Amino acid sequence: MAAQGRIVWVSGPAVRADGMSEAKMYETVTVGDSKLVGEVIRLTGDVAFIQVYESTSGLKPGEPVVGTGNPLSVLLGPGIIGQLYDGIQRPLRALSEASGSFIGRGITTTPVDMTKKYHFVPSVSNGDEVAAGNVIGVVQETDLIEHSIMVPPDHKGGKISNLVSEGDYDLETVLATTESDGQTVELKMYHKWPVRKPRPYKNRYDPTVPLLTGQRVIDTFFPIAKGGTGSIPGAFGTGKTVTLHQIAKWADSQVVVYIGCGERGNEMTEVLVEFPHLKDPRSGKPLMDRTVLVANTSNMPVAAREASIYTGVTIAEYYRDMGKDVVLVADSTSRWAEALREMSGRLEEMPAEEGYPSYLASRLAEFYERAGRVRAAGSPDRDGSVTLIGAVSPSGGDFTEPVTTHTMRFIKTFWALDAKLAYSRHYPSINWMNSYSGYLADIAKWWGENINEDWLSLRSEVYGVLQREDTLKEIVRLLGPEALPDEEKLILEVARMVKIGLLQQNSFDDVDTYCSPEKQYKLMKLLVDFYRKGQQAIKEGTPLADIRAMKSITTLLKARMDVKDDEMPKLDQLESDMQEEFKSITGVKVSN
Amino acid sequence: MTAEGGVQYSKIAEIKGPLVIVDDVENAAFDELVEVETKDGERRLGKVLEVGNGKAIVQVFEGTTGLSIAGTNAKFVGKVMEMPVSREVLGRVFDGLGRPKDGLPDPIADKFIDINGEPMNPEQREYPKDFIQTGVSVIDGMITLVRGQKLPIFSGSGMSHNLLAAQIARQASVIGTQDDFAVVFAAIGVQYSEAEYFRRSLEESGALKRSVLFLNTADDPAIERIITPRVALTVAEYLAFELGMHVLVILTDMTNYAEALREISAAREEVPGRKGYPGYLYTDLSTIYERAGKLNGKKGSVTQVPILSMPSDDITHPIPDLTGYITEGQIVLGRDLFRQGVYPPVNILMSLSRLMKDGIGEGSTRADHGEISNQVYDAYSRAQEVRALAGIVGKAGLTEIDLKYMDVGDVFENEFLTQATDENRTIEETLGILWKIVSKLPKNEITKIKDKYVEQYYKEE
Amino acid sequence: MANSALETTISKILEQTEKSVISNVESALNESLKTLDDSVPKLEQEYDKIIADGKKEADKIEKQIIGSADIEARNKQLIALEDAVSKVFSKALDQIANTDRSGDYSNLIKTMIEEATKILGTSEISVSTNAKDKDVVQSTLSQFSGAEMSSETIDCLGGVVVKSKDGAMRFDNTIDARIERLKPLIRKEIASKFGVGE
Repeated sequence: MAAQGRIVWVSGPAVRADGMSEAKMYETVTVGDSKLVGEVIRLTGDVAFIQVYESTSGLKPGEPVVGTGNPLSVLLGPGIIGQLYDGIQRPLRALSEASGSFIGRGITTTPVDMTKKYHFVPSVSNGDEVAAGNVIGVVQETDLIEHSIMVPPDHKGGKISNLVSEGDYDLETVLATTESDGQTVELKMYHKWPVRKPRPYKNRYDPTVPLLTGQRVIDTFFPIAKGGTGSIPGAFGTGKTVTLHQIAKWADSQVVVYIGCGERGNEMTEVLVEFPHLKDPRSGKPLMDRTVLVANTSNMPVAAREASIYTGVTIAEYYRDMGKDVVLVADSTSRWAEALREMSGRLEEMPAEEGYPSYLASRLAEFYERAGRVRAAGSPDRDGSVTLIGAVSPSGGDFTEPVTTHTMRFIKTFWALDAKLAYSRHYPSINWMNSYSGYLADIAKWWGENINEDWLSLRSEVYGVLQREDTLKEIVRLLGPEALPDEEKLILEVARMVKIGLLQQNSFDDVDTYCSPEKQYKLMKLLVDFYRKGQQAIKEGTPLADIRAMKSITTLLKARMDVKDDEMPKLDQLESDMQEEFKSITGVKVSN
Repeated sequence: MTAEGGVQYSKIAEIKGPLVIVDDVENAAFDELVEVETKDGERRLGKVLEVGNGKAIVQVFEGTTGLSIAGTNAKFVGKVMEMPVSREVLGRVFDGLGRPKDGLPDPIADKFIDINGEPMNPEQREYPKDFIQTGVSVIDGMITLVRGQKLPIFSGSGMSHNLLAAQIARQASVIGTQDDFAVVFAAIGVQYSEAEYFRRSLEESGALKRSVLFLNTADDPAIERIITPRVALTVAEYLAFELGMHVLVILTDMTNYAEALREISAAREEVPGRKGYPGYLYTDLSTIYERAGKLNGKKGSVTQVPILSMPSDDITHPIPDLTGYITEGQIVLGRDLFRQGVYPPVNILMSLSRLMKDGIGEGSTRADHGEISNQVYDAYSRAQEVRALAGIVGKAGLTEIDLKYMDVGDVFENEFLTQATDENRTIEETLGILWKIVSKLPKNEITKIKDKYVEQYYKEE
Repeated sequence: MANSALETTISKILEQTEKSVISNVESALNESLKTLDDSVPKLEQEYDKIIADGKKEADKIEKQIIGSADIEARNKQLIALEDAVSKVFSKALDQIANTDRSGDYSNLIKTMIEEATKILGTSEISVSTNAKDKDVVQSTLSQFSGAEMSSETIDCLGGVVVKSKDGAMRFDNTIDARIERLKPLIRKEIASKFGVGE
């Protein structure tokens, strides 16, 4: 029996209703005459406390509240890829068909087109025993996505019968039934899963394979692994969103879930406009064919913002279960935390730091715990991963505020954005002294095997230069650069070159926006070569001014923009030009 | 609109700050408009913040001064607050609640629109990319404004933000295509003289007949300021999306808005976030700023230039901080430049236009625009470092190249940044000065510009 | 002799003085000519600037005048329209005030009281009206149990004011209040008859 109550109190997104003794925690309900969607978040006696996912303007005490009997769930099946959803998986396109340019209320719609036909190829036969998670067949969802149809995770298992033959079916078609204990269960192309419950898997692996993003400062300096967790905090204007967009565009995963959580509307529009035209560097297909967007912009109802994170991660887990590598990008977890804070305030809970509820840390931990590289449940064996990357928007750029500090406890890669770098237009403004990656040791093996075995030592050498520069800068600040000996001036010069030629990356430049691992390695190698040869030259008495005047420097610094990924011989040329030039400046010295 | 609604309740339980709490309320809706009537029959407007269990909490826009428990009535009007709109609002002056202030009758409404608006569906937005030539070099060249953008001016008390906003409004509105434009100006708790300066400036450029003014000046009720930007934006949306106009909305000063919000929050005894501002300040501000944009299939656009004064010039203060997280960049005015007498005193290093990349380049401004501006950012940033260094070690301790960067800094501030308030530069002129600045540097310092542009535009002196 | 010497001296001095006077005059003349020459371009510049400024100012004033004139004309139109609207309004109100109170009118009163009880959510009500409508209201009230006639007479065109008996709630359903609520719509309607507001 579904609960049927009446509204007794309304304040913003929070509603109290009585007569709700039948309601369950986290059950979805319809609220008021205009049938707004809400979720039960507290029960006291027969009074339910409900967070409403739509604007409550005009809602009155006395209006009805009706339970649905189900927890907040997402529909999982083909048709999800390429969609733009709101926080509770309503397609925004369908909403615009119902209410035009602005988002109306009380609109019901299905998350995917239930009548669209997909070509189903079964991979089981009648009489086969199946268990939860087993793949019974596949459909081609987009050019890039082969979509496995799986037995739902909460299925008890049983024998397949009434299996349809290969052919085109829509989502409501019963593809097969299972029998066990005299119970018949229908299997369709889709099933539903509650968003707040992680989907089960067989076992977890350590993340050891890098997620390549084509961004040098990430891949080369502070890498993240597939199935890992990362956080990108930064004050406004430091380029968080651009960096996240870059990851969503170029990461070598099969599926990308992008959650715009309490952020700007135009940013989602940008993705929508841009992604269909951008080609995946590996497959050459439009990026939109592997992307799902969840948008709950800052001005959309705050409760749905809280839900959007869970909606997104559940979709990510679903594709993971097919054996895919999925990247989930959440921009911004701070806005999600603020939504928690707002609801907590309306519930009159005792606040902890800065008004955030005391369960903020545990909620963050639960979320990041849903990342991982796993062996999926059921057969055949599938290994997939969910990589979670969350932006943090610390107020006033202060990294000691609660959301940043708690997040740091649960993530392993930390890309600290720096306003000072951004002010000088050093993008991505990832600060190399404050950032870290806990995956470096694990994935160095991959680089060693796939790119070059001296990758880790070169990286350490370059990083060493940056560290030396950091200390030398203090001296320069006090005494001026002329106070340093030439060897140390060379370090400053090389550090400058590393910053301009390697760390900086122009995401709006057609070539520079993505950098292959090979090119990343080669640029790094050239810089190390320059450093070593420069040191040698100075030892031999070559004036620093001669080194600074080398023509190859400008060429090297512009190589990130001028040399395409498939023009690696140009970098070899640059290498030999540089050698010649070194020879000539040191040679002249000797002949004198 | 129906003839229904309009029950008047007379049991006032409590009056505190801007709030009136009404008892025994049977029939009221969240967000409903309320008419509070004083003993003397004076009517004030308010709205329902919370309703239930026989109680309604009403926020009174015009303040509660002079209200008493006995003799005060609250009438629940049966609808949310609406603004009557029509083409005839152009050339009119309204108060902070959208009532005529120019002695003319109420506008005859084409429509009545809920002042809270509805969120634009991101799927229906059109990505803003049309360059607006403001004629102000530093904006056009370095912090380009595009149609449908929200780009605030972060200022401090006494600085020249109003001059700049007025110059943008005058110059941006007359240039370009023959499309219809309009200016919506909302004064939120500013001095009368500031509002008057703006009005006169529009009048002198002949743009007043294309403008709508909403004035809540410093001596008007503080809580009214919650409404002022919303009525202004309701009119702007109507002009843009129903009448197809390109609307520039100037909101000044958003700091006063946030303070009014804090006052209400304090009266409700809510748990405060930073500096006493409510935890939902971000969300609340977004419901204003996100009303900028363009929509698929509609001709017009709403461009917002909100102005806010940073308390103690502190950019990390919650108001500029949260604003910066919502808006698409910021124009930051610098106290040092202002003191030096530079107009406009824009600190470009802290300023940014997020939508610039899409509004510039071939076909809109010029192909080299992005790269030359990047290079100048870089050079000016170096110049600032060198200046700081020179302050310690003296010019003698600087290298030759450092001295060139010092020169770049001077030329940038004296020739590029500095501009008269009635000087309207074309984008070609602006880019020309940028190349003049870069040409002060030797070619091997130019690492952010492709060689072909360097060959075309670089001119060594 | 002495005299002639003196004379010579004097004449010499005179001569010199004359020369120096002449040369002074000449140099003054030259100088002033030079100054004049020099100042011509400056004057021209100044003149141009005055003209340009004047033009700018004139442009400004022209824009301002045209702009203001446009607005002024439009505003006059608005006022004229409002006058017309008020006239129509007051005429309509007169008519309503003088409507015949028989027949349909009592049904109207009944509807008004029904509406009020529904909105107030109680039938324990006290009803007031104007002197003219007192009888009609009184006779209608018999159909509402719990309703009583208020002793207070109110000033209105017609219709009723309904209060809960405890006085906490009041619903104004006079014709005046209904017109007030609908006024913006009525104004729009009237204005469109004048061909304004599309």
